[in-house]
Amino acid sequence: MGKMKIKAKEKNGVVQVKAMFKSLMADKEEAEKKKIDVQYIKRIVGKANGKVVFEADTSGFMSENPLIKFSFTGAKKGDELVFEVTDNNGKTKIGKKKIK
Amino acid sequence: MERRKFLGLGLAAAAVMLTPMAKLHAINFRETKPKAWEAAKSTDAIKALFGDAPLEKTDKIKFVAPKLAENGGSIPITLKSDLDIETIALFQDANPRSLSVVFSVPEGQKVDYSFRIKMRQTALVTIVAKTRDGKLYTTGKEIDVSIGGCGG
Repeated sequence: MGKMKIKAKEKNGVVQVKAMFKSLMADKEEAEKKKIDVQYIKRIVGKANGKVVFEADTSGFMSENPLIKFSFTGAKKGDELVFEVTDNNGKTKIGKKKIK
Repeated sequence: MERRKFLGLGLAAAAVMLTPMAKLHAINFRETKPKAWEAAKSTDAIKALFGDAPLEKTDKIKFVAPKLAENGGSIPITLKSDLDIETIALFQDANPRSLSVVFSVPEGQKVDYSFRIKMRQTALVTIVAKTRDGKLYTTGKEIDVSIGGCGG
């Protein structure tokens, strides 16, 4: 699992988030065909101020390097947005970004 | 002393009972519903994830997707709704397994998600959402895929 890119911007109390997670998102069949290891993100959790603001269970049928856009309320400029990503091997990775 | 001990036990018991309650806000569908991730057909996967309750068709969930996707490896999807939704999931009949993604909407937040999925072939994409009062809503669309994704 590679890097992640996070962008978060607050306007009128709504935080717009764009996040890109690097992963081939290859499920069993696709990995076999391309002769690579099975590799996909299975869970993404986003938190701000200790509160969960985003939560998704994903599969290998999301596109490669999944780009997810969403919005949430309850945070302001300068707050930190933290993503915790878990892959199919149970490895987790944490990414942080200050809200602009 | 005995009484104090008894009270202490009571408190410990209450704490134990409260912990799973707090966890309810973060359901890990990978762990709680493993069957849903294995089902090949949308109908089976929906049953495994949401149960047998009837689904109500709705236009209150905005589901934006291209009618014709040139590249099946990257099909943009947007979901939006003002309903008080707890869980929203995407199913498709194009791939070996149906369930693609489940969003657990945190309390107080609205459904507003954009993401991309892979599809091997033209197929029906079904969205099912569960509101906080336990109702199931559905909406769907057929997406034409000219070049299949998923390495196919």
